[in-house]
Amino acid sequence: MRSSPLYLEPRLEPRLRSVLQATDFLHTLVDALGSPLNVVLPEQITENEERFRAVYQRHHLSGDLYFAHKANRSSALVRQLAVTGAGMDVASLAELQHVLGAGFTPDRIMATGPKNREFLWLAARAGVIVNLDSKAELESLAELVGKYVLPRVRVMLRLSAFQAPGVKVLSRPSRFGSHVSELDTLLDAVERHRDAVELIGVAYHLDTIGLPEKAVALETCIRVMNECQRRGLQPRAIDIGGGFGVNYLADGGQWERYTTELTNAVLGRRPALTWQGHGYGLRSESGTLRGALGLYPAHRPVAAEGYLDELLSYPAPSLGRPLATLLLENLYDLVIEPGRALVDQCGVALARVLEVRHTPTGDCLVRVEMNGGDVSLEEHGVLMDPVVIPRDGSRPAPDAEAVGVYLIGNLCLEADLITRRMVFLPGLPKPGDLLAFANTAGYFMDFSADHALQQPIARKVAAYQENGTWRWRLDEQYWPITCTGEQS
Amino acid sequence: MRYDSITDVIGNTPLVRISPAVHGLKNIDLYAKLEMLNPFGSVKDRAAWNMTRGGLATAMERGDSIVELSSGNTAKALAVIAGLHGLPFKSVTNRMKVPEIKDLLLLLGAEIEELPGQTECLDPTNTDDPLTRIHRVLSESETGYLHTDQYYSALNTEAHIAGTGPEILRDLDGHAPDYFIACVGTAGSSTGVATVLRGHNPAIDVVGLVAHKSDFIPGIRNIDEVHEVGLFDPATYDTIESVSADEAIDGMLTLVRRCGMLAGPTGGGAYHGAVRHLRKVDAELTERRTAVFIVCDRVESYMSYVRKRRPELLNQPPRQNSVAGLAPAELTAATVIDVESAQKWIAEDHPLVIDLRGPFAYAALHIEGSINIVDELFDELLHGGLPFGRSRPVLLACPVGEKSVRYAALLTRMGHPDVRSLSGGIIGWRDAGAPLVRD
Repeated sequence: MRSSPLYLEPRLEPRLRSVLQATDFLHTLVDALGSPLNVVLPEQITENEERFRAVYQRHHLSGDLYFAHKANRSSALVRQLAVTGAGMDVASLAELQHVLGAGFTPDRIMATGPKNREFLWLAARAGVIVNLDSKAELESLAELVGKYVLPRVRVMLRLSAFQAPGVKVLSRPSRFGSHVSELDTLLDAVERHRDAVELIGVAYHLDTIGLPEKAVALETCIRVMNECQRRGLQPRAIDIGGGFGVNYLADGGQWERYTTELTNAVLGRRPALTWQGHGYGLRSESGTLRGALGLYPAHRPVAAEGYLDELLSYPAPSLGRPLATLLLENLYDLVIEPGRALVDQCGVALARVLEVRHTPTGDCLVRVEMNGGDVSLEEHGVLMDPVVIPRDGSRPAPDAEAVGVYLIGNLCLEADLITRRMVFLPGLPKPGDLLAFANTAGYFMDFSADHALQQPIARKVAAYQENGTWRWRLDEQYWPITCTGEQS
Repeated sequence: MRYDSITDVIGNTPLVRISPAVHGLKNIDLYAKLEMLNPFGSVKDRAAWNMTRGGLATAMERGDSIVELSSGNTAKALAVIAGLHGLPFKSVTNRMKVPEIKDLLLLLGAEIEELPGQTECLDPTNTDDPLTRIHRVLSESETGYLHTDQYYSALNTEAHIAGTGPEILRDLDGHAPDYFIACVGTAGSSTGVATVLRGHNPAIDVVGLVAHKSDFIPGIRNIDEVHEVGLFDPATYDTIESVSADEAIDGMLTLVRRCGMLAGPTGGGAYHGAVRHLRKVDAELTERRTAVFIVCDRVESYMSYVRKRRPELLNQPPRQNSVAGLAPAELTAATVIDVESAQKWIAEDHPLVIDLRGPFAYAALHIEGSINIVDELFDELLHGGLPFGRSRPVLLACPVGEKSVRYAALLTRMGHPDVRSLSGGIIGWRDAGAPLVRD
């Protein structure tokens, strides 16, 4: 019996759907610029930012939004944000240089993460906000400010290891930030270096989708801010980091069906769904399921600005009031650093199909002109089907039978699979067709791409609409003043 | 009936017939096994007692803690049993989804550890299921533990092989029913009862109920999660069907409103699943049949669960003097006052300044001389009438002036002649450079 296809179709909003329907446009691009090719949609990021702003307005909150640059290296996306009111969260020296060159003024830039001396110096020299990872970093910064006679630097303190009241809420230990238990020494140091730094807020970023942990952290920050004020410091902002998530899949039913069947496959109750029976973290021990599903929850009914809204409406664990109310009535600004969620629907990675092959063991292999590093969905645990863009513009015949295929890459490596799972496609692709990995602008496009085997890294183009037609420029040639979506 | 210990009261629960007028089945007598009448409130009392009774003496001698992975009834029963014997109880859980149970466990003296939520970025080093994690914690721990291990322990199933199953047979005059329907949580009760009943009637139809995958029904696992349960064996059940949270609540409503059984959503799910399954076979039957389902626990702990999913079931009549009832015209007509005028007014006429923010925020910074009545409390006060005289002018302040204008409108409607709302709120006050103090 042939098993029915287990699709995981991507969620496509109108702009992304429209560019995927422009098949001639995409084929021309890949013909000219090679495979793989990344396409970003800068106009979408403006729309995403507005959605986050609307949540601020609903809760009467003020404060800034900083795009976590590490999600995508694109210049077009960064420059597009330069014309809106957004800020940039940079985590390396090169990222800082990039955003300064894209038109961001220092008041709209925040340097985060652990930093080397050069990064710290440029941040201080340019006058951007420095989100301090540790007391040692504060000391280095103060030393640089003194030695090179730099202006006073605005800083935030990143905190970690928050303790919940009542029920003990465990959190994964974080490599980043200062322990809340060492707050006093940290604030002593801030006071000691008062002439070098100005404390403007406190920060956290927790790698979890769990609201209770975040509520504990946010409430603790409110208490810490109070302590700062008691000491005569005057911080105004609480930075809650990112981690708002993205809903990748169009249909929750498909996700549920897929994960159920994956469980059955791991337990040996159906044919394998993955290369070599890989279980994505699940395993079978004498018929009982063990392990944890190591996948991003690709269908997330509450994600991005919706998740922020839910967090802000969540009651604080000990003070009881909703977190947004607490921020508001304590007169604090809210700072967020969305990455993935801000570039939701902002891009697509394209790869040309090179070969379609059937193995004697019955598997169908589709070899594409890209490798696992070019679209790192698998590395980030996101399972989502590519969209087939046929060369000849035809759609699969309505009676075409769905096929389960393995997508293999262009590296001479057994392990180079685009994904270890069998991907179901509505029909067998042909050499020359394109596979479009939609909604990959956040972390999947250029985060892990490299030059192994001297294979090319994808070029990047910015696509935008003009009078209903799709136009493009090389990413580095895109400036928002020439492509406003109206007249150039 | 007289007992020496509350644990002797566990078991021997009644089997009560559901009226055919309620379920509408023509040829089937449907019985509810009322496990909610166990002393600590659920079917889990049996397993909890059976899993601990043998190890208690040693645990007391050594001062061990009882440990279990549970966020519900098992934790509740174990907490009581641990307390009875002077032992600490620790519950490790993924997420306490039912706040009433969480509070109750704290009240019973349990220590609760909630495991971290799923990571947002994929962390390949994080591959543990909660149970593996518990085993690791226990093996690393210095002090002794009595780990009851409800998802794997044969003592869980045994409690029902020795108790629940034979009781049903006894109450049906030695006959096994033709149908047995139970929700699958740890699989202990369904497996134990099914084993006994099938021994008497190999033709019995056993239905296991699981939750819809995207739904949460307390105490029931979904179709994927059941595979994580060591006691779960698909061969126990002739059919596995799923119920949604909505269906479970509908079933619960039938039990509480029409059957006089104050059952929780798990029992409701079992009732709904039972009737749905039996309706399919009822019309074809030519002779009378018997069916039994289990009512696991009681409704009282699930009010917030119901409130979240079906708020309309708990709706309150509209209250008098409520901001919700204000007309747009009343809001526009409310008097607002800007910061500068407010400062002058305070200096000249000494209005009562009421800060509607929370006490924590008020304590940090406020307008000098203001009093703090948090909005929730103010709202309560106003239901009863004006909490101050009409002769005293009042200035209301909230963070941005949005709530205060509503209360100003409400107070005006209630007959207060001079109440004003601080435009822009405390944030506007601060931004205008007006003084805020900390006492």
